[in-house]
Amino acid sequence: MAKREESYYGRQLNTNVFRRLMTYARPYWLWILAAILLVLFLTTLELYKPVLEGYVIDEIVTNRSFSKIKGIALRYIFVLTGFYLSNILQTMILQYMGQNIIYNIRQELYQHVHSLSLRFFDITPVGKLVTRITNDVEALNEMYSTIIIKLFRNLVKIIGLVIVMFYHNVRLAVYSITLLPLIIVLTIIFRKISRATYRIARTKLTTVNTFLSEHISGMKFIQIFAKEKEKYQEFETKSKDLYKANFREIMVFAIFRPIIYFLSVVALAIVLDLGSYLVIEGGITIGILYIFVNYVNSFFQPIQEMAEQLGVLQSAMASAEKIFSIMDEEPLITNKPNPVRRTKFEGKIEFENVWFAYEDDNWILKDVSFTIEPGMSAAFVGATGAGKSSILNLIGRYYDIQKGSIKIDDIDIRDLHTDDLRRAIGQVQQDVFIFTGDIKTNIRLFNKSITDKEIEEAASYVNANSFIDKLPGKYDEPVMERGATLSSGERQLLSFARTLAYNPSILVLDEATANIDTETEKLIQDALGKLMQGRTTIMVAHRLSTIQHADKIFVMHKGKIIESGTHQDLLKLDGMYKKLYDLQVQ
Amino acid sequence: MKNKSILKPYIIKHKWKYIFGVITLFVVDFANLYVPEFTGKITDGLDSGAMTMDNIRLLIIQILILGTIIAIGRFLWRYFIFGGSRLIEYELRNDLFNHLEGLSANFFNKNKTGDLMAHFTNDFNAIRMAIGPAVVTTFDATILTTMVIIKMISHVNLQLTIVAVIPMLLILIGGIFFGKEIEKRFKEKQEAFSNLTDEVQESISGIRVIKGFVQESKDVEKFSKSNLRNKEKNIRVVRLTALVLPLIDVIIGVSIVVTILYGGRLALSNQITIGEFVAFTQYIFMLVWPMIAVGESINLFSQGIASLKRIEKILDVQAEVYDDENVDTTVERLEGDIEFRNLTFKYNENLPNSLTDISFKVKRGQTLAIVGPTGSGKSTIASLLVRLYNTEPGTIFLDNRDIREIPLKVLRENIAFVPQESFMFSDTIANNIAFGSDNNDIEKIKKAAKDASVHNNIMDFPLGYETIVGERGVTLSGGQKQRCSIARALMKDAPILILDDSLSAVDTDTEEIILSNLKKNRQGKTTIIIAHRISTIQNSDLIIVMEEGKIKESGSHDELLEQRGIYWKIYNRQQLEKQIGAS
Repeated sequence: MAKREESYYGRQLNTNVFRRLMTYARPYWLWILAAILLVLFLTTLELYKPVLEGYVIDEIVTNRSFSKIKGIALRYIFVLTGFYLSNILQTMILQYMGQNIIYNIRQELYQHVHSLSLRFFDITPVGKLVTRITNDVEALNEMYSTIIIKLFRNLVKIIGLVIVMFYHNVRLAVYSITLLPLIIVLTIIFRKISRATYRIARTKLTTVNTFLSEHISGMKFIQIFAKEKEKYQEFETKSKDLYKANFREIMVFAIFRPIIYFLSVVALAIVLDLGSYLVIEGGITIGILYIFVNYVNSFFQPIQEMAEQLGVLQSAMASAEKIFSIMDEEPLITNKPNPVRRTKFEGKIEFENVWFAYEDDNWILKDVSFTIEPGMSAAFVGATGAGKSSILNLIGRYYDIQKGSIKIDDIDIRDLHTDDLRRAIGQVQQDVFIFTGDIKTNIRLFNKSITDKEIEEAASYVNANSFIDKLPGKYDEPVMERGATLSSGERQLLSFARTLAYNPSILVLDEATANIDTETEKLIQDALGKLMQGRTTIMVAHRLSTIQHADKIFVMHKGKIIESGTHQDLLKLDGMYKKLYDLQVQ
Repeated sequence: MKNKSILKPYIIKHKWKYIFGVITLFVVDFANLYVPEFTGKITDGLDSGAMTMDNIRLLIIQILILGTIIAIGRFLWRYFIFGGSRLIEYELRNDLFNHLEGLSANFFNKNKTGDLMAHFTNDFNAIRMAIGPAVVTTFDATILTTMVIIKMISHVNLQLTIVAVIPMLLILIGGIFFGKEIEKRFKEKQEAFSNLTDEVQESISGIRVIKGFVQESKDVEKFSKSNLRNKEKNIRVVRLTALVLPLIDVIIGVSIVVTILYGGRLALSNQITIGEFVAFTQYIFMLVWPMIAVGESINLFSQGIASLKRIEKILDVQAEVYDDENVDTTVERLEGDIEFRNLTFKYNENLPNSLTDISFKVKRGQTLAIVGPTGSGKSTIASLLVRLYNTEPGTIFLDNRDIREIPLKVLRENIAFVPQESFMFSDTIANNIAFGSDNNDIEKIKKAAKDASVHNNIMDFPLGYETIVGERGVTLSGGQKQRCSIARALMKDAPILILDDSLSAVDTDTEEIILSNLKKNRQGKTTIIIAHRISTIQNSDLIIVMEEGKIKESGSHDELLEQRGIYWKIYNRQQLEKQIGAS
C-alpha cells in the first residue's frame, strides 16, 4: 500500500513541492527580504568596480590629475568595504535561515516518523528512513541557503551588466551581447550532455561497487570454485566500462570548457574591434572600452553557474518529494478524540472473538477468545506461525484487529490512550535491543526521573547485578548494539531490569528464555518468578519448563486455540501439548 | 616521497601522458600571458592615436590566434593529465581486486566488506585527485605564479609589481592558515552529521522498544539535541567561510587600489604607458587562482598520500594459502580418497582448538556423514578440505597425498562444496548454476537443477533460467537458494562432493528425492554430508558424531543406534518431532 502511495506522490507537480518547501521559509520572510536587498546592493557594487577602473584610465589619458585618481581610489575602497560587509551579512542571514529551516524540517520529520505505526516500519527498510531524515534533508540545506539566492544574484548580475552597457554605448552593447544566445544554447546543450554522461558514469560506478561488495563478501565462493580468473575478467570488463564512462565525462568538459573560453576570446575581439573604431571616431573613451572589455568576460560565469544551480535545485526537489511522501504517511493507530486516560490497571486481559490479519484476508488469528484474570499468568504454545506472537503484539495495540475486541480491565483498548496502555505493559523480547550508551541508560532509556538507585535496585532484584558487578565500569560500562559485548542471557537480564524499572501491571514475554546457557538460565528463571509476582503475565515460549507453572496454558494451531488448561489438565488430555511435552523431556 | 612507491610503476608507465600534459599546461599559461599585453598595446595605440584600424585588427587577429592555441591546449592537458589519472585509477582498481582474490578466508574474516569497499571508493578518489587535478593546481601555484610575476616585472615595472603582489600573498597565507581551520570545522560538522545518522539509525532499529516503553516524545527531545548540534556545527563552518571567502575579493581589491594609486602615478609621470597599466590590472586577476591553488595542492596531496598508505597496507598483506615449493604440479585429478590424521586446528593463535585430534578415512565412492550440534566443528572440517585455511603438514591426505602438495586450483576444481550459507551472485539462475563448471550447456544446467529438485521452481519464473536473482532481480526463498547451490555443485560433477548442512531449508519429501538422485549420480564418487536430520544421512557408509571439536562416536547407522549414545538420543528425539509434525 505504501508503495502505491509513494508513486502517486511522485507524480505531483514540482510546483506543488516548491510551494510546500516555501511554506517553511515563510516565517523568515523579513530575512529573505533583507537578503534580496543586500543582493541588489552587492551586485551594484560589483558592477561598479570595473567602472571605477575605467574612470582611472580616462583620468590618466585625458585629465592627468592625480588628486582625482586618489578620489577614485578612495571610492574604490568604500566599494570594497561595502561589498565585503554586505556579502558577509547576506551569507550569514541566508545560512542562519537555511540551517533553522533544515533543523525544523528534520525535527518535524523525525517526530512524524516516530508517530507512525509498526506496520509502517514492517514494510519500510530502516536504511531508507535514515536516508530521508539525514541526507535528503541535508540536500535541502543548499537550496535554502545558497542556490535560490545565487540564481537570483546571477540573474540580477546579467540584467545589471546589460543595463550598464546600454547606458554607456548602445551600439557597442548590442555587439557585446551578440554571442549571448549562442552561449546560452551551448550551455544548455552542455548541461544535457554532461548530465547524461554523469548519469552513465554513476550507473557504471554503482555497477562496479555492487559487483565489488557482492564479490568481496562472496570471495570464499569464488575461491572454493577456483573461479578467480573468470571473476577477475568480469571485474575488468565492468571496471573498463567505468573507466570509459569517466573518460567520456572528462572529454565532455575538455571540449566544452575550451569552447566557452574561445567564445569569450571572440567576444573580446568583437568588443575590441568595434570599440577601437569607436574610440578612434571619438564615440567613446578608452575607459569605457576598458569597462566593456571587463564586462564581456563577466557574462560567461553567471550563465554557466545558473545552469549548474538549476541542476542542484532539481535534485533538491527530488529529495523534497521523498521527504514529503513520508510526511504524508498517516499513522494507522491513533487515539480516539477523547480517549480514556488511566495510570493504574488491574491487569485483566480479555480477547473476544478476535480476527486479525497483517494484510487482507491472510488471517493470522481466527476467532480467538480468552480471558486472563488480574495477577494470573498465561502461556501460549504452538508451532511457529501459529499466531502466538501476534497475540502479544495486539495487546499493546501495535496493530488493530479486524473483528472482535480486546479489553484490558474491561475497557476496549481502542478507547484507551495508547500511551497509557503501552505504559501498563512491559514487553520482554527474544532479541533484546541494546542502545549505544552505558548499562544505566539501557535500563532507564530516556526517562531521567528513574534514579541511579532505582536502576541498581531493579538490576539486583532481577539478578542482572550478577554480571553488571563484574564489568569494569559497572553501571557506567559502555555497551553497543552490535558490539557483542553482552551474551544473550546477559542482554535478557538487562531487559528484565529495564522492564522492572518501568513497573508495568502487565508483563509480556516473547520467547524470553530461548538461546540461553544453562548457567544464566537459572538466574533468569529465578528473576522471571520475581518479575511475575503481582503482575498479569502473558508469555510465548518453546521451552515447556518455562511455562508449565503458568496458571493457564493455551495451545495454538494455525491461528486457533485448540487446547487450554493447566499443565496437568493438558497432559491428561493427551493431545498436542502432551506430544510437545514428551519431545522436550527426552 | 617513500609513500609513492606503489604508484611509481603506474606513473612511469604513463610518463608520456604526464610529460605532454605538463608541456601543454606550460604552453597554455605562456600564451595566456600575452593576451593582456596585446590588449594593452591596442590601448596604447588608441591613446597615442598612432594606430590605424588595420594595425589594431592585426593585434586582434593575434589575440584570436592565442585564444585558439589556449583552447586547444586546455583540451589537451585535460586529455593527458585527467585522462592519465583515470587510467591509473582503473589499473590500480583492477590490481587491488586481483590482489584481494588471492587473499585467504582469514583476511576476509578480519576485514569487513564495508571497510574494504571504502578503499575502492574514497581512497581511490583521493589518489586520483592527487595524480590528476593536484598536478594542475601545483603547476599553477608554482610555475604560473612565477611566469606572471616575471611578466609583470619585465613588461611593466618592478616596483609596481612588488607593491601590488604583496597583498596577494595574503591569499596564499590565508589559504593555508584558514584552510586548516575550515577543514577542522568541516570535520566537526561531518562528525556531528554522522552522529546524527547513527542516532536515527539506532532509533529506527529500536523503534519497537521505544514504542513499547512509550519513549517517543523523549526520544524526539533527545534527537533535538543532536539536531541542534548538527545545526551549530554547520553554522560554525559558515561563519568562518562567510568571513574568509569574500576576503579574497577584498585582497584583490587592495591590489587594484595600490595599482590605481601607484600605477596611476607612474602612468602620469610616463614611466609606464596606459596600455601597460591596463595589462597590469589583468595580470593581477590572473594571479588570484594560483594563490588559492597553493592551499588546495597541499590539501589534495596530503589526502592522496593518506589514502595511498591505506591501499599500500592491503597490498602488503600476503596470501596465507598458496601453492608453495612442495606442490606437485603433476597432479591433475583427484580420485576421492580422504584421510584425516590426528588433526588439531585452531582459527587463531588466541582461540581455543576448533578441532582436536580428528582422524578418519573415507575411500573413493563412499559416503561420509557428520552430525553434531552447532559449533561442534563440522563446518570446519569441510573448510579445511577445500583448504580455506592451512593445516599442519601430515594431517590431511587426499589420494594418500598431503593436501599441501596438491595444487590449489586442482584441489578446488575436484571438490564440489555446498557451504552452509547459500550464496547467489546477482546474475541469471543459469549462470549461477554453471558457476563452478567450465561449460554452461543449458541441458546440463537443467539436468543439475532437476537433480537438485529446483527445476520446477525455476520454470515458474517468467524468464525461467534467465531470471536474474539478487538485489535487482527476484528474491529466492532459502530453500530455493539451497537447492540452486546443490545444483551448482552437482553440475560440477567432481570426484568429491561436500554438502554442509545444505538441506536444512528443504522439506523432507524433497530431501528424499534429492538424496536418491545423489545416490544415482554419485556412483563411485565420494560424498560428504553434514546434517542435522538423521533421516538425511542414515544410509551413509560412515557417520561421525561430533561434539566440541572432537569425534565422540563413529560407525554406521545401526552400529551407532546400538551404542545408545548421543546419536541414539538425537535419533529418538527427531522421530518424535516427526510425529508431532504429522498431527
